[in-house]
Amino acid sequence: MNTTGSALVQFDGVVKEFAKRGDTFRAVDGLSFEVRQGERIAIVGETGSGKSTALNLLLGLTKPTQGSVSVLGLDPFARFNELAGRIGIIFQTARLLDWRTSLDNAAFGLQMLGVGKRERHDVARDWLERLGLGDFLNAYPHELSGGMRQRVSIARTMAISPEVLVADEAFSALDEMTAASVRADLLDLLEEQQMTTIFVTHSVPESVALADRVLVFTRPGHVKATCDVNEQRAAGRTDAEIQDLIRDGLRDSGAGADVAGRRSARV
Amino acid sequence: MSLLTRGPVDEVVAGDLAKRARVRRSPLETIRRSFPAIVALGVLAGLWQLSSIFLSPIATPSLAAIGTSMREIVTDWDQLQNLVRTGLRILAGLGMAFVIGLVPGVLMGFSEVIRTYLRPILYFVQGIPALSWVVFAVLWFTDPEVRIAFIMVMVTFPNFALFIESAVRGVPQDLRELGHAFRASRWNQFRQIVLPAITPAILSSWSVNLGNGVRAVVVAELVGATVGVGNRLLLAQSLFNMADAMAWTLLLVLMLLVFQTVLNLIEGRLLSWRPVGERR
Repeated sequence: MNTTGSALVQFDGVVKEFAKRGDTFRAVDGLSFEVRQGERIAIVGETGSGKSTALNLLLGLTKPTQGSVSVLGLDPFARFNELAGRIGIIFQTARLLDWRTSLDNAAFGLQMLGVGKRERHDVARDWLERLGLGDFLNAYPHELSGGMRQRVSIARTMAISPEVLVADEAFSALDEMTAASVRADLLDLLEEQQMTTIFVTHSVPESVALADRVLVFTRPGHVKATCDVNEQRAAGRTDAEIQDLIRDGLRDSGAGADVAGRRSARV
Repeated sequence: MSLLTRGPVDEVVAGDLAKRARVRRSPLETIRRSFPAIVALGVLAGLWQLSSIFLSPIATPSLAAIGTSMREIVTDWDQLQNLVRTGLRILAGLGMAFVIGLVPGVLMGFSEVIRTYLRPILYFVQGIPALSWVVFAVLWFTDPEVRIAFIMVMVTFPNFALFIESAVRGVPQDLRELGHAFRASRWNQFRQIVLPAITPAILSSWSVNLGNGVRAVVVAELVGATVGVGNRLLLAQSLFNMADAMAWTLLLVLMLLVFQTVLNLIEGRLLSWRPVGERR
């Protein structure tokens, strides 16, 4: 994977606190990382390690208590609407609209951007065909299997040609065979599009299979370790060995992690 | 199994699902499903006919006498226009009540603050009997059509509002987030996500309110109209003509069934995306 120097996504000393029963709960604490153009990164971490909060900050759904988040040079919260069509997300579940056919679901994002019916249908049809759903353009979600629904949701996101793509546990709701198939198709498309992508996942093997770089998150919401997958492969390590390295990073990132571990370390 | 297996492996399953979902109900199946209802109504009619043999015809006229009254009504425009006028009042009254109920319903669905203030008012209005509204209408308005419309609206709009509020609140959070994530405008979120999602509830509210509307309009016409089924029922009562009273009542029920059928057709069209098992 070729990456250029400019950072499309940048978290700089981000802190996010929530009020909880009169107390303040810190979900993200000093989170700093960047994602360069064309790079694919994976964020792995245990439950409560701040992955979802980081994602919400990235999408501009919430604003940081301290620090700054920048996506494509913009503050995603303050300039929420300016990122329309430039940042795309694939959710854990397909979240299709039951009353729309596959074609209309895939065209949803473009419709929200104000693209005309004919054009958005042409683009959506093209993506659905590329994802193997050419014979199911007029099928409703209840007529599709779980894997096919997720493919429609991928087409919906790819159709808007986002500059930054976020995949939030995009395969975890699928059975392993279907997940492998959908994962492979998405990877092909990402390779072809050279799309900057952030995967959020619980699966270490998946993170190694999909990403150039893996960020290990730990409580309370910061990067405990980073693993450059390409570098490790170039050093002769197998994927299984790289997975073990990441698992070691995760193991050290438990609730009782050493304070020294709060600083981002290179695996 | 590799982490990366290319090609859709699940199409066969989906194809079967699609085939199953598209199965339509045959006319024979429709008759078979209607059979219990036909038997039940037949038994009811038989019991009525039986009682007409033993009781006074003023109390229980024969089915033939009721049939004759019905035929006279539907073949005489002067009489039939009472039924037509009542039908139009039901549709107009429900239409106004729906529009009036839609706004607070949607607002309550979106805002907890508005819900907190409006809900008690709607429950209060809902608790007032139709007959009280008749009295208020007679005291407040002089035009009979205004009186009837007012009664219809007051009896049915809280129900519309509460149905819609519940439906808006029931729109899955996942779908709201979807609209937000795709930076949809508020109008687009409402138009493309909320409105289609609450359409089944809107249709259900119409179905429920058709029954309420029929009851309300007849009560309103009893005291406020010179034309309409309510007025004809009052006339039948003053003439001790049970056959006419039954004929008007049955025609009103038939009209309600026609409205329900039209509503079902609209529902079938608007909700054609639903799996067969979820359709009415």
